[in-house]
Amino acid sequence: MIEIRELRRDFGGIRALAGVDLRVEAGERRAVIGPNGAGKTTLFNVLTGELRASGGTMRLGGTELGSLTTWRRARLGLARMYQRNELFDPLSARDNVLLSITSVVGAYRPMRSPVAHEVAAADAVLDQVGLRDQGSTAARALSHGERRQLELALALARRPRVLLLDEPTAGMSPAETERITALIGGLDRSITVLIVEHDMDVVFRVADRITVLHEGRAIAEGTPEAIRGDRQVHDVYLGKQVEA
Amino acid sequence: MTFEDALQQALNGLSFGALLFILAAGLSLIFGMMDVVNLAHGAFYMLGAYVALSVTRATGSFWAALIVAPIALALVGLIVEPLLLRRLRGRHLDQVLITIGLSLVIADFIRLRDDWGWGATVRSLPLPAGLDRSIQIAGSDYPTYRLFVIAFSAALALLLYVIQRRTRLGALVRAGVGDAQMLSALGVDTDRLFTVTFAVGAGLAGLAGVVAAPVFGLQPGMDVDALIYSLIVVVVGGLGSLSGAVAGSAVVGPADTFGKVLFPQFALALIFAIMALVLLFRPTGLLGRVRIGR
Amino acid sequence: MSRPTLIRMAIVLAAWVALATFPQWSGFWESSRFAAGIIRQILIFAIFASSLNLLVGYAGLPSLGHAAFFGGGAYAAAIAAQRLGTDQLTVSLGAGMLAAALLALLVGFLAVRALGIFFLMLTLALAQMVFAVAFQATELTGGSNGFSGIRRPTLLGIDFSAASDLYLLVCVTFLLVVLLLWRLTTSSYGRALVGVRENERRMRALGYDTRTVKLSAFVVAGAIAGIAGALSSYEFRFVSPNDVGLGTSVTGFVMVLIGGAGTLVGPVLGAAVVLLIERVLPSQLPAQTVLGVVFILFVVFARQGIAGALRKERRA
Repeated sequence: MIEIRELRRDFGGIRALAGVDLRVEAGERRAVIGPNGAGKTTLFNVLTGELRASGGTMRLGGTELGSLTTWRRARLGLARMYQRNELFDPLSARDNVLLSITSVVGAYRPMRSPVAHEVAAADAVLDQVGLRDQGSTAARALSHGERRQLELALALARRPRVLLLDEPTAGMSPAETERITALIGGLDRSITVLIVEHDMDVVFRVADRITVLHEGRAIAEGTPEAIRGDRQVHDVYLGKQVEA
Repeated sequence: MTFEDALQQALNGLSFGALLFILAAGLSLIFGMMDVVNLAHGAFYMLGAYVALSVTRATGSFWAALIVAPIALALVGLIVEPLLLRRLRGRHLDQVLITIGLSLVIADFIRLRDDWGWGATVRSLPLPAGLDRSIQIAGSDYPTYRLFVIAFSAALALLLYVIQRRTRLGALVRAGVGDAQMLSALGVDTDRLFTVTFAVGAGLAGLAGVVAAPVFGLQPGMDVDALIYSLIVVVVGGLGSLSGAVAGSAVVGPADTFGKVLFPQFALALIFAIMALVLLFRPTGLLGRVRIGR
Repeated sequence: MSRPTLIRMAIVLAAWVALATFPQWSGFWESSRFAAGIIRQILIFAIFASSLNLLVGYAGLPSLGHAAFFGGGAYAAAIAAQRLGTDQLTVSLGAGMLAAALLALLVGFLAVRALGIFFLMLTLALAQMVFAVAFQATELTGGSNGFSGIRRPTLLGIDFSAASDLYLLVCVTFLLVVLLLWRLTTSSYGRALVGVRENERRMRALGYDTRTVKLSAFVVAGAIAGIAGALSSYEFRFVSPNDVGLGTSVTGFVMVLIGGAGTLVGPVLGAAVVLLIERVLPSQLPAQTVLGVVFILFVVFARQGIAGALRKERRA
């Protein structure tokens, strides 16, 4: 589903991505972990097109992404949850989700107000992420955890083929983390999920396979058990986590 | 076009460019430091010219006006910045809007002051004695005042350059740090810095007004013309830097002059076309600095 | 439609009927004709301000060159009527709208490629180009003397020459424009505009081609400004380069801000305030100064404008 070969991204003299190879099968849950600065968010940014690649290729479902704009890639079925919330603050939660839902249809429906079934679909997504009662609340008035849930809702509402989750549980309470983790785990297998996470419990619960990034390269890849036991990964990153 | 004509026009272009530099430097300075496009810049220019008019009438001396007008405008800047702009710290668009309101007030004020000898009628400022003649250059006469403008502007550019390199204020301007929080974290009194910067920018606009007045006269609407030209210069040359103002005026001055001579119908369109092209393909201007997070 | 909306619609329609029949029921008042003239001009500029509001208040595009489409529409209406030798409303109004829309397409195509302050300056510069053309193309536009002697239009035999007939034309056009904008802003398209304003990055990530969305807003806003321009040409029977100048653009911006950007009624209120200051203020008081001061006060203390402040009051 996702095929990334020798992906590179330079910032001046800094090699944020130094030749990443990544291959994710359709329906797979792949976690991308690594210490801070390893290039995880950069990888997402290059994948969505917000940053241009300095080299290498990316394929989504067979289609070469390299020259496509961000919104064209989104229309190919790519959806993203940002690490720092990118919401529409003055709009209600429902309107936020509606924007996501109607993006599939397109922007130019000047004469028709939100269609009933779209509103219903928006409420369904809100329900799915646990914001059922907050539909009419303005996004800026929601709590941090609720904003994170809305952020996820925006990505889900597009019924994507590929879902990129950038630290979905960051800053969440244990209860909220539990709910989000269950939600992600329960997603339909028609969606391929790429998740960047620091919380290892979440990773081990959700992921089919794990890729470890370090200094812009994928240094290890395998099942959670294999990664847990991998010496090199241990030294680079996991070591600190396991002891804690 | 004969060689003499071409030389004349080249000198015209140069002197116009020199004037544009004085005009644009202030705008660029304020933007570089405060991230605010001062749309009252043209009004400051206009006010400077009219103050010069009064001073010249009262004292009979152009040189007195050359000193008094910029100071007067700097004072205006010292008042306006804390009064209007400081309370809108961080709201850049709103600061721009306020300068629009300010320009309306200033322009109207001038228009109504018939009792001060200002008002809506076209006025003129006589050339200063000593610079009101022409000298021979390559076989034809050329007004000495325009040569003075070139020399004055060059001297000013040099002075500003030295200040930038040698003083603390200059260092801050060069760093181009327009972020109030970061500056105060470095122990800088940002309120005072911004006020001073704005005052200097206003003073420069007033100075441009004085220098331009003998050539272009004084009339309603001169503020809009000045604003447009200064915007074009800083956009073309690069917003926020002294070298940008130099580069921009070096391009726009001659382009405007030769344009008006060679194809007068399209001269204005030419200038705007240059600006539009630069904005599209090199939005930071020819020598501008890349600003992150715009 | 919900009950509150129906009630609101009924109120608005009733108010409009009262407005449209103003010359009739106010006949006893000696200033009735003068007032009707002021109201006509307020409505014309309300249309202009409302179109700018679509850009500034909804799409978040601070355009300082909107007069280019207003004046451009005015010139096009006048020139079309003259060159084609007809007084038909459809021809001149249509020409005004079309010319303005095309101009907006050109300007917008370039402008949407710039962001923030560069967008502002680019719209200013491009509008000044239009001004330059209006000023210099003397054969076409009358140059600095302006285009005078414009005749009031006719439609299917109805002649709008009389002030009261023109009044009705302006009222009807105003209502149609308001209805159109109401539909646009409450639809998915309107929400998409707000989305682009609030978080363009997110909109692109959601799959919206934001550049084209902005461009579409530009064209729609331009076309409506062109309508206002055509009406202005009928009202004043005169078009001058000032109608495409920076002053008019700024006036529009002031109207939008004072009235309340991002609301439907805001620009109308703003137009009323500005025009009352400009036309009705006693001649001793300097109108532009008052306007400038009022504008500054609003930017500092009431950024959301009159309509915005009223909305907050209602919520509290």
